[in-house]
Amino acid sequence: MNARAVAAWSCAAIVIALATSNPVYKAAVVVAAFAVLAAAAGLGRMRRLIVGVTLLALIDILLNFVSAHLGRTVLFALPDAIPALGGPYTVEALAFGGSAALTIAAAVLAAAALSLLLAPHEVMDALPGMLSRSGTALSASLNLVPTITRSFTDVLEAQRLRGWRPRGARSWAEVVVPVVLTAAEGSIQLAESMEARGFGSGIRTRYAPAALDLGDWIVVATSIAAVVGFALARALGWAAEWYAYPSLESPIVDARVIVFCALLFVPVVLWRKRG
Amino acid sequence: MAQARLNRLTYAYPGSHQAALNDVSLLIDGGLTMVAGPSGGGKSTLLRVLNGLVPHFHGGRVAGEAESAGFNIIATPTRVMARSVGFVFQDPELQAVYDTVEREVAFGLENLGVPARAMPARVGDALAQVGAEHLVGRRVSTLSGGERQRVALASVLAMQPRTVVLDEPTSQLDPKGATLVLDACERVVASSRSVVLSEHRFAQLQPLAETVVIVDQGRVETHAARDSRPGRVEVARLPPAEPGPCVWALEHATVGYAGHPLIADLDLAGYAGQVVALSGANGSGKTTLLRTIAGLLRPLSGKVERRPVRIAYLPQNPGALLHRPTVRSEVELTLRRTDSATSADDVLRDLGLFEVAERYPRDLSSGERQRAALAAVLAGTPALVLLDEPTRGMDPKARIALIELVRKLRDRGGAVVVATHDADLLAAIADRVVEL
Repeated sequence: MNARAVAAWSCAAIVIALATSNPVYKAAVVVAAFAVLAAAAGLGRMRRLIVGVTLLALIDILLNFVSAHLGRTVLFALPDAIPALGGPYTVEALAFGGSAALTIAAAVLAAAALSLLLAPHEVMDALPGMLSRSGTALSASLNLVPTITRSFTDVLEAQRLRGWRPRGARSWAEVVVPVVLTAAEGSIQLAESMEARGFGSGIRTRYAPAALDLGDWIVVATSIAAVVGFALARALGWAAEWYAYPSLESPIVDARVIVFCALLFVPVVLWRKRG
Repeated sequence: MAQARLNRLTYAYPGSHQAALNDVSLLIDGGLTMVAGPSGGGKSTLLRVLNGLVPHFHGGRVAGEAESAGFNIIATPTRVMARSVGFVFQDPELQAVYDTVEREVAFGLENLGVPARAMPARVGDALAQVGAEHLVGRRVSTLSGGERQRVALASVLAMQPRTVVLDEPTSQLDPKGATLVLDACERVVASSRSVVLSEHRFAQLQPLAETVVIVDQGRVETHAARDSRPGRVEVARLPPAEPGPCVWALEHATVGYAGHPLIADLDLAGYAGQVVALSGANGSGKTTLLRTIAGLLRPLSGKVERRPVRIAYLPQNPGALLHRPTVRSEVELTLRRTDSATSADDVLRDLGLFEVAERYPRDLSSGERQRAALAAVLAGTPALVLLDEPTRGMDPKARIALIELVRKLRDRGGAVVVATHDADLLAAIADRVVEL
């Protein structure tokens, strides 16, 4: 799969999820994103992502439930005297939190395609030529992340055996300082290595920039069609908005809008083999 | 034809009053030139002059004249010189920009603006030159140190420089990895390019070398390679020790991390007054075993027992320890924490660090830094000493000092465990060698 095709699909999914307040369409995007990632990357590689997205969604629902004391269907109430928490707790607040959680889940899952399905250099290749140099620097920086993580463990272990014990925030300086210095030295060494290989010497070219194949073009075309179709549906009033307050009502769903959202499922078929 | 010519070159790093290179005049011809000398003598600085990293990348004060591959070094930025002078660094982990081998090798070509259609052939040729064609398609993060270093060399060769400079390219590799890299260097020399290489273990390349440049205290001397006798650790083997009580023991221990076993069902013990050496290729589990003995990792199964004694642990990366403003304060910190009456001066003298005691440890050369980390962990009287690749980047003199120190620790009844690739060190200090 080409990084530009992945980026096009990812952008389309995010745009649709952000452009609507209707939880059914948001849910369609979440399901599409989940299905595409599961088909292309496999559920095993998604495990942490699923945990993270679920946590984010639950936190969002909980925050809305305890902070938005709006709506007519009261489940229970806490005395107003309790700061921040006092007031009625409503089904509407719960539903609105759920809808917002769907937006977050859709956006995170769609954006995760870039990291789960592509290597950093593939993301870089998708950047326009004028951003190539910045992309290279970013790719190089990402390569340092595992080294820094390992460095933290090394420093912590070495200092512990040298008698260091955590005693308040200041004592962590003995761990943090060597980690930061080691990271800085690593960055300098990497910069030195890049400079020694001519980075910044003139106009760059790219190693075999990947071309879009038929499958990639289909993904790009269907992603564009999904976004354009959804925008059109909104303009024509097919994609009805939904609001949880003051009283909860079922969202209105139009089959034509569902068809546009369904275009986001196309990569499930085309990217299946890559998993 | 001269590849590089330095004329009365003097250079000092920013903020330093002492010149790292002092009135250096030098002529480097084609073929293989070896750069040798003690740690901190100025080898790396001299090598960095050859592609302009010194002074352009590092800054500082420079006087005199320097020319390399036909360029005036002082007036030409490194990124321009990169077309003619390639540079391979010491640490294979900190050179990779991309995460796949062929992209990494092509990085320099992209920077030079080589057309995309010409790149695959040049990448393939460069990998073939270092015997690494089979690595195409691999992720750089999955390569061994030796493989990574050959990829680093290939990425330089793909740019077709006239001169290739290598700064201790094998110091972090096991013997097999080092041999592969040095074989690759031999092939580069055979392809009529000039190679300038700093290497403590250079017996393999000495027959190929035309010239040996000795760098010490910022001054250089040039010798014909055939007349040069590079330092090798020639010390009497430690007499066998009479082991004392058991200090640590593994019983049916399976050692590994994150659920991945590296060594299965190991029975091993170490005694007071005994040096146990752990030997084996990169990735064989030496460091993991050392961390398990130290109590930093739990065994996946089996048992580890230790007497409740003070443990000194030198990690592979000396930077993990050093955070104080001076070498002396690093030693004093350990002495204070261990309530030791030992004088910091004695520890510094034992490791040949007295002259650099007031310097910032991270400004030292890699060999000196390694010794500073050793001084920081060994200060006081540890009863269990765990050393992970302690001779990394050390010159022969420093190695001898280390061997003497290990001898002292052992004679005082310390249990010592050393993980090392260094065959000379193994031969000199080990009472028992455990091959992993």
